[in-house]
Amino acid sequence: MTKPKSPIGGPFQAPEPGVHRLGPMQVLDAPMRRFSPDDQVDYCVVGVGAAGGVLVQRLSRAGFRVVGLEAGPFWDTERDWVSDEKGSHQLYWTEPRVTGGSHPLSLGENNSGRGVGGGSVHWAAFTPRLHPSDFRTQSQDGVGVDWPIAYDDLKPYYELLEREMPVSGPAYFPWGDPHGYTFGPHPMGGVGDLLIRGCTKLGIRVSIGGPVAILAGSRGNRPHCIYRGFCIQGCKVGAKQSTLISHVPDAIAHGAEVRAHAMASRIEIDAENRVTGVRYVDHQGTERFQRARAVIVSGYAIETPRLLLNSACPAYPSGLANSSGMVGRCLMAQAGNVILGRFSELVRMYKAPPAHCMTEEFYETDPQRDFARGFAIQSVAPLPIAFAKQMIASKGSWGWALRREMMDYNHWGTIAVLGELLPNPDNRVTLADETDHRGIRVAKVTFGLCDNDKKLIAFARKKVEDVMWAAGAEEVVQESRFAHLVGGARMGVDPRTSVTDAFGRTHDVDNLFVCDGSLFPTQGSANPGLTIQSLAARAADYLIDQSAAIFRRGAPRSREKVAIRTDLSPPDTWGPGVPRLGG
Amino acid sequence: MARHPIHARRSAAASTSGARETRLTSAQRYRDCPSWRGGAAGLTDQRVSRSILDRALALLDRSSIVWLARRRERRGREHWPLAVLKEGLLFPQHVREGRAQRSLALIAGMSSLLGGAEVAYEHYRGSYGQRIMYTPIALSALACGASLWGARDPSVARTLMPALSGLLIADGVVGFVFHVRGVARKPGGWRIPAVNVTTGPPVFAPLLLGIGGYLGIIAAFMRRADDPGDRSFPRRFRPRWRWSYDVREGQFQKHMAGATSFAALLSGLEALYSHYKNNFRYKAQWTPIVTAPLLAASALWAVKSRRAARTALPATALLAAANGAIGFLYHARGVKRRPGGLGRLGYNILYGPPIFAPLLFSAAGFLGLLASVMRREARA
Amino acid sequence: MSNPERPAADPRELWPVDSEGHPLPPKIQPGYYPGFSTLSQQAFWDEATRREVLRRVESLPHIRFFQGDEVPLLEAASARLLPQDDRAEARRIPIVPWIDERLYEGKGDGFRFEDMPPDGEAYRLGLAGIAAAAQARRGQPFQQLPAADQDDILKQLHHGKAPSEHEAWRRMPAHKFFLLMLHDVCKVYYAHPWAWDEIGFGGPAYPRGYMRLERGQREPWEVDERRYAWAPPPAAGSAETERVAGQDDLYGTSQGGTH
Repeated sequence: MTKPKSPIGGPFQAPEPGVHRLGPMQVLDAPMRRFSPDDQVDYCVVGVGAAGGVLVQRLSRAGFRVVGLEAGPFWDTERDWVSDEKGSHQLYWTEPRVTGGSHPLSLGENNSGRGVGGGSVHWAAFTPRLHPSDFRTQSQDGVGVDWPIAYDDLKPYYELLEREMPVSGPAYFPWGDPHGYTFGPHPMGGVGDLLIRGCTKLGIRVSIGGPVAILAGSRGNRPHCIYRGFCIQGCKVGAKQSTLISHVPDAIAHGAEVRAHAMASRIEIDAENRVTGVRYVDHQGTERFQRARAVIVSGYAIETPRLLLNSACPAYPSGLANSSGMVGRCLMAQAGNVILGRFSELVRMYKAPPAHCMTEEFYETDPQRDFARGFAIQSVAPLPIAFAKQMIASKGSWGWALRREMMDYNHWGTIAVLGELLPNPDNRVTLADETDHRGIRVAKVTFGLCDNDKKLIAFARKKVEDVMWAAGAEEVVQESRFAHLVGGARMGVDPRTSVTDAFGRTHDVDNLFVCDGSLFPTQGSANPGLTIQSLAARAADYLIDQSAAIFRRGAPRSREKVAIRTDLSPPDTWGPGVPRLGG
Repeated sequence: MARHPIHARRSAAASTSGARETRLTSAQRYRDCPSWRGGAAGLTDQRVSRSILDRALALLDRSSIVWLARRRERRGREHWPLAVLKEGLLFPQHVREGRAQRSLALIAGMSSLLGGAEVAYEHYRGSYGQRIMYTPIALSALACGASLWGARDPSVARTLMPALSGLLIADGVVGFVFHVRGVARKPGGWRIPAVNVTTGPPVFAPLLLGIGGYLGIIAAFMRRADDPGDRSFPRRFRPRWRWSYDVREGQFQKHMAGATSFAALLSGLEALYSHYKNNFRYKAQWTPIVTAPLLAASALWAVKSRRAARTALPATALLAAANGAIGFLYHARGVKRRPGGLGRLGYNILYGPPIFAPLLFSAAGFLGLLASVMRREARA
Repeated sequence: MSNPERPAADPRELWPVDSEGHPLPPKIQPGYYPGFSTLSQQAFWDEATRREVLRRVESLPHIRFFQGDEVPLLEAASARLLPQDDRAEARRIPIVPWIDERLYEGKGDGFRFEDMPPDGEAYRLGLAGIAAAAQARRGQPFQQLPAADQDDILKQLHHGKAPSEHEAWRRMPAHKFFLLMLHDVCKVYYAHPWAWDEIGFGGPAYPRGYMRLERGQREPWEVDERRYAWAPPPAAGSAETERVAGQDDLYGTSQGGTH
C-alpha cells in the first residue's frame, strides 16, 4: 500500500472561526444568556467541572436562573486543545499550591482540572461504581466512617448517568452490585492484552473493554473513539465524556450562564446566617460580586475547602460552614502505584485509551489479609514524558540509563493499583501564608499514610507485580504514587464530624451547598468520576424539589429522600442500550 | 411468440385431470415441461461442449436419481430432515430444470441467518448507537423465517418471502448509505480513507446482506420441484419482465453470474481492508484478495461467454467457496488464540477476526456454482 | 553545545558503544526505528497541534530568565542529565531555552513541595550550588569540568547529598532539586518530534487515530523496530543508575499520565 503524504485535499486546516466547537461535529450554537451584574440568580455554582456541569444542566432545565463560575476558560476544543502531551498543560490546575506531610502528594498535572469540564476533561474516564460495602465501611469492616446514604440511594443515579455519559463496558460486570453497561466494550490495546493474559493465568477475573465513559459507537454528534491514546490530554474527538460536551451545552440551551475566567475568592454571608453571593475576580482582574439565593461549591477536593476557609468571617472564624472543624480535613487520595513490565515483544502502549481493562477481584476486605479494604487493578498507558518520569522514579534512571530505557519505550507495559486509603483527619487542606497573584491565600495540602494504608499498598503492589510476571514480563519495576483526590468537606449525619448532610447541604448554613468530590467520607477503590456526577444529579433533584424551602429564610430542612427525576437528562440520552445482564 | 409459453403450459396442464398427481415419474415430468429440452441424463443442448462440469453433473444425476427413485416408492409423509436431504441431493437437477424454489428458499434462509448473525455482533461493536442499527437484525430474522417457511409453503414463497427479502435488500442499501455517512462523520472523514474505512463502519457489508435477500426474491419467481403441474402460480400471474420469465423458466445464468460478480467484488473489498487492518500478518490472508477478483472476472466473463460459464466460473467459484470455508476455520482459530481464549468467547468473537465473514465469501462462491449449473437465457 | 573553553577530551569516550565496546558514531536519528519520522505525518495533524509542535522544532525562545553563567551551566548539566552525544550536532534538541521560557512565564506544575522554594528561586539557588560544587572540586566552572566530574556532582544530588557547602542545600533537599531539573529536561526532550522518532512514539493523533492496537503492530506509516547492539559509554557516571533506598517519598512524579 502506498503511504499517502497527506489527506486527500491537502493538510487538515483549522475550521472557520466564529463558531464555538466542542468536537469535530459538535458546536455550541445556542446563544448564552448573560445576567446583568446586579441580577440575583437562584443558584450560583462555583466550579463548572464534573459535578458543576451536571448541576448547571439539571437546574437550568428545571427552570431556575443559574450561573456557573469557572476559573478557567470555556474551551473550544478544535482551537484550544492540542494532541500533544506538553501542550496540554493548560487543562490542569497549575496555580500555586503547597504540598507537604510525610507522603506529599504531587499536584499539578492530571490532579485537578481547570476550565469548563474541570477534571472530566483530563480524566482517563474509568467509571466503575462504588460497592455497597463502601457506604458502610465502619459498620462492616471497622475502619473509616459510614456514609449517610446507602448504595441503593445512589444506584438509580448511577444507572441514569451511565446512560447519559454514556458508559461503555462489558455486558456483565460481576463485582459490587453486578450490572451491565449501556454501550458495548472497547477493543483492547497492548496493555489490556497483558492484563488479560496475566490475570487469566492467575485465575483472576477481568473486566474487558471498560467500564469507561468513552463511546464505543457514535452517538448523536459525538463520534466513536479513534483509539489515539490522548485521553488525559483532552479528547478532541468528543468520544470521551466530559461535562463540557455532555451537559454544559444543554445547560446553555436552557438559559444557564457559564462565566469563564471567573475565580471565586470569597463567599459572602449576611447577619442572618445566609449566604448572599459569591465574590469573584474576572479575567481583567476586577473583583465582582454575584448575588444568589443559594450557592453550591463544586471546586473539587482542594479548591472547595480553600474557598470555604478563605470565606472565614466573624460568625465563622475558622472558615465558612466550619463549626465542625472538618472543612479541609479527611482529604483522601487513592494508592496509585504503577507497575511497569518490560516485554521482549513490542507493546506500543501509546495507542488505545489508557483506560480499557480492569479487575476488582481484590476490592473487598479479605479477612485473611492483614489490612482492611482492598484495591482494584487497572490498565494505564503513559505517554513518553510521563513514562520518562516513571522510569526516573521506579528505576532511579537518569542520564544514559534513562536514554536507554526510553529507547525501549515500546517494549514496556504498565498496570496500576487503585487502592483505598483510609480517611485521616491529619490529611488536610489548610491555607498557606502566601497568596496567589489575585491576593487569595493559597491552599496547602498535607498528606501521610497510616498503617493500614502501608500494608494495603505493599500487598497490592506485590499482587500486581505477580500479574505482570504472569503476563510474561522480563523485568518488573514499581513506582509509588497516588491518584485522585476526594474528601475535605465530607457528608455525614452528625454536624460535629461532618460538613454537609446527605444532600450536600452544609449543616451550618441553610443555603450553602457543597457538591463535588470533597463530599466523600470514604473513597473506595473506584475512580471517583461516576460517583461525583451521580451525587451531583442526586443533589440537583433535592435542590429542585426543595428550592422553595432553600430560598426562604428560616424554612425547616427536609431530610426526606427525593424521587429521582428522569426527565431532566440531556437530549441524547436514550433507551436501554445494548443487551446486557443485570440491567 | 404468438402465445406466451406459460399460458401454453397451463392450458396443457388443465387439459389433464385436475386431480393432484403425486406419482409422476421423472421422465414424465420432464416431458410435460416444454422448457426442458432433454432427458433426465443431463444437458442435451448440443451447443455446449461436454466439459468436466457436464460429466460431473451427469454422474451425479445417475447416482442420485437411482437412489431416490427407490425412495420414491414409499408412500407417506417425510420428516423434514429427510426432505431437506433429498432436496439437497436433487438440487443441481432442480436447478437445471428450473424447479429449485424450495432449495433456494432454504439457502436464502440460511444466508439471511448468517448475515443476520454477522450484523448482530458487528452492530454490537457499534453499541447500537443509532436506533436504525436494529433493523438489519430484525429483518434478517424475518426474512430467514419467511424463506424457511416458503420452502414448505408455496403461497408464502410467492408473497411473504419476496416481500421480506426485498425489504432486506432495501435495508442493505440503506445500511450502505449510513455506513458511507458514518465514515464521513469520523474525524477526517473520507479524506483519510485508508484509516477511516478500515476502522469505521464496514462500507460494503450491508450490501452483502443482500445475498440472502436476493436469493429469496429469485426463489419466489421459480417453480417448485414438488409441484409438477405448476398450479402454484395464480392465474393472474403474468411475468411482466423478461428476467422474471427467465427466472421462472430457470434459465438465468447470465443474471446470476452478474450477481456473483457483484458479491465477489464486495466480499473481496471487505476482506481487503479487514486484512489490511491486520497488516496481512498471515500469508493466508492474501488468498481471498487474490481469489475474489478471479471469481468476479470469471463471472463477468461468464455473462458474455457460455463456455466460460461452464469452465472458468465453476472452477473459480469452487475455489472461492473452499477458500471461504478455510477462512472460517482460520478465523475460528484466531478467536481461540486471543488473550483469554475460549474463556472470553463473547468478547473474542466480538473483537477477534469476524467469524462469519468468510462464509459470506463462500456464499458468493456458491452463487457462482449455481450460475454455472443453471441454464442460460435464451437468445431472443 | 560544546564550550570552547572546555579542555579537549576525546569525544568518543562520550559515545555509546556496541556489543564489543567499540564507540558508535553519532547518528542523525538514534534509536531502533530508522527512517521513522513523525514530522512527515504533520499534514495529518490538526492545525492547532501542528502549529504547537512546529514551533518547538522551528523556533527558539530568547533567554529571558536565566542570567550570566547560569545558561552554560544548565546547558552542561542538561547534557549530562540527558546526554545527546549520540546525536549528530545538527540534530541535537535544544533544552535550555525552553526551560527558560517556562520559568520566565511562570508556567509549570504550579505546586511546590513545602520544603522547596518556588521553581524560579529553586533554579537560581540550585545552579549556584552546583557552580560552588564545581569550584570546590577543581576551581573551574561546572561547564568546564570533565564529563566524569559533572556526572559525579549530579550523582551526589541524585542521592540526596549536598555536593557543596552552599545555602542552596540548606534551603532545599538536593534530591528534589535534582528531580526538578531532570523532569524539566525530560519534558523538553521528549516533547520534541526527533525524540518521538527515536523511541518510536506515534506523535499527535488527531484527526487520524490508530487502527492496529494490539501486539505492538505498526501503523502503515510507522516503522518496524530494528534493534542493534547499543549500550551507554562504559565510563559514564550515569550508565548504571539505581533507585536510592529509602527515598520512596521523594520520588513524587505527579499524577500525570495515569488514572
